[in-house]
Amino acid sequence: MKLRASIGDHQTDIQILDQASLLNADIDGRRYELKVLELDGRGYLFISDGRVFDCRVEGQLESGRTIDVIVGTEPYAIAITDPKRLRGSKAVDTRTIEAAHLVAPMPGKVVRILVEVGEQIDAGSGIMVVEAMKMQNEMKSPKAGVVAALNVQVGATVNRGEVLAVVE
Amino acid sequence: MFRKILIANRGEIAVRIIRACRDLRISAVAVFSEADAAALHVRLADEAYSIGPASSTQSYLNIESIMAAAERSGAEAIHPGYGFLAENAEFARAVEEAGLIFIGPPPEAMEVMGSKTSARRAAIEAGVPVVPGTTEPLRDYEEARETAIRFGYPVMLKAAAGGGGKGMRQVESEAELRSAFDAAKSEAASAFGSSDVYLEKVVDRPRHIEIQIFADMQGNFVHLGERECSIQRRHQKVIEECPSPVNEPYLRERMGEAAIKIARAVDYVGAGTVEFLFSDTSREFYFLEMNTRLQVEHPVTELVTGIDLVREQINVAAGTSLSFRQEKVRWRGHAIECRVYAEDPESNFFPSPGRITFLRVPSGPGIRDDSGVVEGAEVSIYYDPMISKLAAWGRTRAAAIDRMRRALDEYAIGGIKTTLSFFREIVRDEEFIAARLDTGFISRFNQRRKERPLERPHPAGGSQAASLHQDIATIAAALSYVRSQSRRSTNHVPHEESKWKMAGRVAGLNRTALKRSSEHP
Repeated sequence: MKLRASIGDHQTDIQILDQASLLNADIDGRRYELKVLELDGRGYLFISDGRVFDCRVEGQLESGRTIDVIVGTEPYAIAITDPKRLRGSKAVDTRTIEAAHLVAPMPGKVVRILVEVGEQIDAGSGIMVVEAMKMQNEMKSPKAGVVAALNVQVGATVNRGEVLAVVE
Repeated sequence: MFRKILIANRGEIAVRIIRACRDLRISAVAVFSEADAAALHVRLADEAYSIGPASSTQSYLNIESIMAAAERSGAEAIHPGYGFLAENAEFARAVEEAGLIFIGPPPEAMEVMGSKTSARRAAIEAGVPVVPGTTEPLRDYEEARETAIRFGYPVMLKAAAGGGGKGMRQVESEAELRSAFDAAKSEAASAFGSSDVYLEKVVDRPRHIEIQIFADMQGNFVHLGERECSIQRRHQKVIEECPSPVNEPYLRERMGEAAIKIARAVDYVGAGTVEFLFSDTSREFYFLEMNTRLQVEHPVTELVTGIDLVREQINVAAGTSLSFRQEKVRWRGHAIECRVYAEDPESNFFPSPGRITFLRVPSGPGIRDDSGVVEGAEVSIYYDPMISKLAAWGRTRAAAIDRMRRALDEYAIGGIKTTLSFFREIVRDEEFIAARLDTGFISRFNQRRKERPLERPHPAGGSQAASLHQDIATIAAALSYVRSQSRRSTNHVPHEESKWKMAGRVAGLNRTALKRSSEHP
């Protein structure tokens, strides 16, 4: 199977032949033959030329979506795209996150709002304070600009990924 | 001795106390919030009672509902652990009024030490040096501004009722004072129910060294030496050591005596910790505060002295005198503890709650892991994000670091982000290895990291190994994709799949099935 892998900005082509307990792979011309043991559906134990690689795979695997692979202690965030599944869906790039959106990184409660709509702010200046796990965290503007929208009020409970404010 | 003890806490410390109860053949009673119904501390207990909703103000801080659980269980004593109600004098009184024993100091001692401003006064009266600062809470911003000018920047704002770095802000200049003052007050109010803050001068390159003390009802006072807690972020300790790399018997003796003086001044009973700031340059120490409870980092003292602090706490509360005298205390080897938090070190230590999908805990020579979770556990947003404490002991500091490095590499936690990766880098850091520690360590470490990205911790080889590991990771990701696709297609047949391929796959499956049945007739 031919696939495309991206790690950060780095892209590689990978060809893989899965023969259950044995695997052949070719990454940009580098060839690997690995013994494979699937670990409880959550990772693999690879042995290549006597060297052991204990790998864990975290996250839901879908074409274009980033998952975490931990080799030993080292984490890698990898997105696998399947050229066969790209037809008609050109916007697979998951990295097009609006820099001007202030997104809640985790669930919490808004305890203070430090700016008003229309206010001119610098990059890194505080927009609001969100309390989670008993710590108050100042949410800082990702860029300089004008506060275009404040989507929450003091006391509101926010969810992970919720857009709290927009800076233009 | 008690027959039954209720543990008014959760997480790793509740588990730690249950273990001490087991050692002493005491029945352990757990309490739990709705979020903790399946938590490890509940599973390990003999009895467990629900005390309310997830929010800690309605459960682990709810005195009424904990007392109701105590009454129902027939427990004779209550151990508060640390955090929550551990330093709440009102709770200690409620326990006593119900005819039970509070495993901790008398409420009067807690009250004096509970307010940092009155603790400072007590230390001054006992003749122990303190950091220059205010002894009363600040009335308003204007007073804060004037005091800061008097001491000179940088200054530190602290919650009078504080602890754990909450309600605490270092202020570099007057421009930052206003927002820091408001933030400290509001954080203090939400964390401790009191918005009182006071101000201290910042000591230059300070080490944070604390002394473990112990007292019994017979009037014996001892100290168990120091712990070095200089490695902090957001004024929260992340790595602790015993002994301090300063390791001077003379200094230990002087600080130990000062700590005992303070404990005596408030008629202390049980385990307590007196925190000092130690200036590396002047070799002077200043009283910071006294924690009237068991500390998070107590395992390092236990590893080095061999004394079980929780067992001793229970014995002392039951009226037994201390099982050892000062001259019998010996410090053997070196211990280091890393606090494993559910936080993302790559994104400014932001909390990372969620389900622990994978857990492999290290062990082997010299390793101790005090954890409150198991695989499948949910790290909830409601409580402190610390999930375990990993401690290593060795004959020397270098040997302890070696063991810690090995254990950290063995430790694997999946599903959430943790501070493990951060610790793996710290134990390889030259300044850490050379023990150049002070409270500015983490920010300097982060700076070094930015300037010269540390080599990823490899078993062997440099950049070649890095690209090899990256290839292996890519293969693992690709293989997962391939297998998830084939699993999907065996579940519901996708239309693009050719009939031939399907037939081939079915034949393949049959072959394996046949092979299996011939292997196991």
